Amino acid sequence: MATITVDGIEIEIRTGERLNAIEAAARAGVEIPHYCWHPGLSVVGSCRMCLVEIGTRDPSGKVSMGPKLMPACNTLVRDGTVIVTQSEKVQHARALVEEGLLLRHPVDCPICDKAGECRLQDYYFEYGQAEGRRADIRPFTSRRRDLGDVTFFTDRCILCTRCVRFTREISGTSELMVRDRGAHEEIDIVEGFPLNNKLSGNVVDLCPVGALGDKDFLYKQRVWFMRRHQGVCTGCATGCSIWVEENQDRVHRIKPRENPEVNRWWICNDGRYGYPHVHDPDRLVGAVHRDAGRTVPLDFTGLAARLRDGLQASGGTLGAVLSPFLTVEEAYLLATAIRQLDSGAVLAIGPVPVVGEDERFPGGFTIAAEKCPNRLGVEKVLAHFTGGVTSFDQFVAKVGEGALTGAWVSGGYRDPWIEERTAEKFARLKTLVVQDLFPSPLSKRATFELGGAAFPERDGSYVNRQHRLQSVGWAIRPPAGTRTEGSILWELCGREGLYNASVVLQELARKIPAFGAAVGDFSDIGIDLRLNQLA
Amino acid sequence: MVANQDWMSTTEPILSDDLLDAIRVYFPKYPTRRAVVLPALHTVQERLGYVPAQAVVEIAELLELHPSEVQDTLSFYGFFKQDKPLGKVRIWVCRSISCSARGGEDLLEYLCEKLGIRPGETTEDGLFSLEFAECLGACDFAPAMLAGSELIGDLTREKIDAFVDRVRGDT
Amino acid sequence: MAEFEPVLLANVGKDNSHTLKAYEAVGGYRALRETLKDKSPDDLITTVRASNLRGRGGAGFPTGLKWSFLPDDHPGPVYLCVNADESEPGTFCNRVLLEEDPHQVLEGTILSSFATRASTAYVYLRYEYPKSLARLQAAIDECYGAGYLGKNVLGTDFSLDVYVHRGAAAYVCGEETGLIESLEGKRAWPRIKPPFPAVEGLFRKPTVVNNVETMACVKHIVDRGPEWFKSIGTPADPHNPRDPGSYGPKLYQVSGHVNRPGVYEAPLGLPCRELVDRFAGGVWKGRKVKAVVPGGLSTGLLAADQLDTPLDFDGPVQAGCLGLGTAGAIVLDETYPIIDFLYNSCRFFAHESCGQCTPCREGTHWALSMVERIKAGRGRLKDLELLGEIGDSIGIIPGTTICGLADGAAWPIKTALAKFRDELEDYVKQTNPAGYADIQPAIAMPAMTTH
Repeated sequence: MATITVDGIEIEIRTGERLNAIEAAARAGVEIPHYCWHPGLSVVGSCRMCLVEIGTRDPSGKVSMGPKLMPACNTLVRDGTVIVTQSEKVQHARALVEEGLLLRHPVDCPICDKAGECRLQDYYFEYGQAEGRRADIRPFTSRRRDLGDVTFFTDRCILCTRCVRFTREISGTSELMVRDRGAHEEIDIVEGFPLNNKLSGNVVDLCPVGALGDKDFLYKQRVWFMRRHQGVCTGCATGCSIWVEENQDRVHRIKPRENPEVNRWWICNDGRYGYPHVHDPDRLVGAVHRDAGRTVPLDFTGLAARLRDGLQASGGTLGAVLSPFLTVEEAYLLATAIRQLDSGAVLAIGPVPVVGEDERFPGGFTIAAEKCPNRLGVEKVLAHFTGGVTSFDQFVAKVGEGALTGAWVSGGYRDPWIEERTAEKFARLKTLVVQDLFPSPLSKRATFELGGAAFPERDGSYVNRQHRLQSVGWAIRPPAGTRTEGSILWELCGREGLYNASVVLQELARKIPAFGAAVGDFSDIGIDLRLNQLA
Repeated sequence: MVANQDWMSTTEPILSDDLLDAIRVYFPKYPTRRAVVLPALHTVQERLGYVPAQAVVEIAELLELHPSEVQDTLSFYGFFKQDKPLGKVRIWVCRSISCSARGGEDLLEYLCEKLGIRPGETTEDGLFSLEFAECLGACDFAPAMLAGSELIGDLTREKIDAFVDRVRGDT
Repeated sequence: MAEFEPVLLANVGKDNSHTLKAYEAVGGYRALRETLKDKSPDDLITTVRASNLRGRGGAGFPTGLKWSFLPDDHPGPVYLCVNADESEPGTFCNRVLLEEDPHQVLEGTILSSFATRASTAYVYLRYEYPKSLARLQAAIDECYGAGYLGKNVLGTDFSLDVYVHRGAAAYVCGEETGLIESLEGKRAWPRIKPPFPAVEGLFRKPTVVNNVETMACVKHIVDRGPEWFKSIGTPADPHNPRDPGSYGPKLYQVSGHVNRPGVYEAPLGLPCRELVDRFAGGVWKGRKVKAVVPGGLSTGLLAADQLDTPLDFDGPVQAGCLGLGTAGAIVLDETYPIIDFLYNSCRFFAHESCGQCTPCREGTHWALSMVERIKAGRGRLKDLELLGEIGDSIGIIPGTTICGLADGAAWPIKTALAKFRDELEDYVKQTNPAGYADIQPAIAMPAMTTH
């Protein structure tokens, strides 16, 4: 163990742990302000906001402080390191950096998207000096430049170079550069070579000020009107941890949520900008029953009973398709409910969309070719019920042979997923329940056509390609008249009260060894399901 | 490297094979291609008189870099011209303290008026490009100017006149 | 004291002094031959350490100590960079060495490469020295021809390549990690330390960066021994065990308002007055000294009553300056306005700030804005206060920047304010009688637009 002292607070860190003074101070609950340093990028130590006093405590307890200020970002702590963050010297240095950064800054917070989550703003209130000494005031300028995927507000930039380092170190695409020298420096691109890569949106998150603007989010919301919710991206099998930011049930922004085990600090643009389908007016909403050419809207009340009756009335040889977009809990409830109605029911996984090949980036980030969030989770559930995994094609073949009388097909796909040709094969079923996000050739044939939930509306867990299970809650409510998969299936299983994903997860974790690691509480970064199997 | 293919394919190369070879000469001297950026920029500017945007792209291609990495370096130095070729003679007039204290800035102003251009510009006839220098390291000859590779020290208006006349006379 | 015989400048002024033939005729490359015969790299490091040679580039760091930071067991390669980016205003001795006696520098470079086990040495030469380039490259070519460079130097196991790398007019390339970044083909933004270049330098390999004059000194130390070197200059303070002293000959440069500007060699510790009066022939036009910059613009100002300051590593510090710097003295006569000095200095550092660290990028720019405004007759006493605060707060000495460029920007401001405050206040009051006492934020002068 190594003992570090931060403003008189002693903390212990593990021997061999490499922490800089910013990270060590954070462990002691002390914030050291910083702009250029980011844990995912190389250390340049140039903004000088993290200057602190560093000293050492010798074994006798005597503390000797270094003569000058040191950048906390480039100071690795070791046993006996003493960090002072509140001295007059430190406060003066911070105030001067803050003043320097504001000398040529337009201070256009009222029209800046970053206001409310801007470090320049926050730190000014926290560490700036009261006296306004901005001598040599220049005329107001707020130049804006298109860099490709993002918009750049030149005059707001503080030259921390995080964005430049990101494109060189993480995306490996190197589109961004610093241009010119000294006070003339600006972030820029070479004409004809715009910022254009699948990770480019991250530079907006990295920007500690309002210089880099997200074209998708620009001028849409003041950040303080939004609430953020923990989510998991369902765009591919990587399963990035995300923040879903919404205002009154409308998603306005998706941001990466730090997860050292999955996506570190990043997400790809597909995930970041892949939410508009949630608010697509063409979504399947409500529930209808089709019977002899009549289409009857169904009430929520007694819906589960109607579905149960419909399936049983079909003749009782049932099957269900568990979509890889379902959460683990939903898949488990669906399998349970169908097996309750027919203990020999055929259970299969829905189509697993694969597009191209995995895309790997130099910083370690991978966009998976498998474009669904929970194939592994659904397969683990299926393996529990059926001892193996029946593919969708096998299921379709069975349906085509007339082996089944009724089926429940879950969808949740963002893109068209079933062709007319395949859907035709379901014609022989007496009862077909389809719950999906968008109308499809199959849903049009359904006896019971149910609108389903989009990812921010779901409660439950996903298992990513690394066997990591992450649980999230819903961020927004589904469209009026639509019930989520979880809530219908909960009722279909005959359970009382409201759908509770964590109850289901705990139940299946106790019952299914493959989910054993998920018993009890685990952190926001999820749990590796293989842990249990190794033990 | 992400290159804009459309843009590349519609443009004739600006760096000749000969010029590329002149850059390749530097490869064995350094363990990385990137280290050849400055020698390459110097070579191109010496041969073409400037380093236009397209040359940047071609240098990047040769050195296996993104054009922004070359442009980033280039722009830092304020030494390489990109809009149009330099004049036949590039003149640097020193304005650092030793030269300035002995009249260097007045001589820079004189030269500006005489040539009808400001520092950073090139005369219409393409003979002269004028720059100020922060320090030429010729303080013992202050005020000094560097014209091409010729250092002219103890500069006076007369010396400037003679120099300008000489260059004009040579053409 | 007996009349000092120049060592570093011994050949300068002789016919063809830049050629191998002339150099060998006066014992050139003897030290290299002797060393390669029976000495080890460690022997050489010991010799240089024993001499207490301190780097001539400005910071005065002990050269042998710097070398000893190289890791012992590194698989290599190790690089030596010779810093010939001499760009400090008032400094030109490297130019004289490279133009007039490049072999002296090369011999020192070869010896230093041998000591540091470097297999490649890059001479980072500023672009504005075309004659130096020609002479140095010719000398390198001669060395390859004579077997002093290349594979198996003089038939030994030691191999060395020396390449000249041209800069492109950026002062900050003289900072050793700025130089390294520039050599690697990047913008010359100095690196944060640690890691220091000795551990992770050029191309991420162990690297030593030494000044041209330092290289020349190494040659003579190896040739004549450390005791000879320590017989010259200002001895270490016996009461301060950490003082390495100021030993050896030094190239003093003097420019500005003197009768005989030039480079002169003298033992370290030469009093400033002697440099101005004896070597440079006194102030021009029969005038008196107002101030002297002791060692390149960065070091600040000595006032007229401080001319007895010895120009060794400690003297200028005691006189309230940054240090000896490059020993490039700039003399300003009694008629020269200090505001002009301040303006010239602020303009230089704002132009040369690499723009990486906030305090330097913004501080130098702000300081220039204020001085421009003062010169335009809209100065305020408040500005002097703000300038003083910038001067006190930027640089590696307070710890607010990565490299020393900001210290160089700070000291001219600090010393001008400390030593010529009355003149500056009078200037502000006289040029802005109506507004000198204002404290409200002022409107800026048009921004400097040329680059």
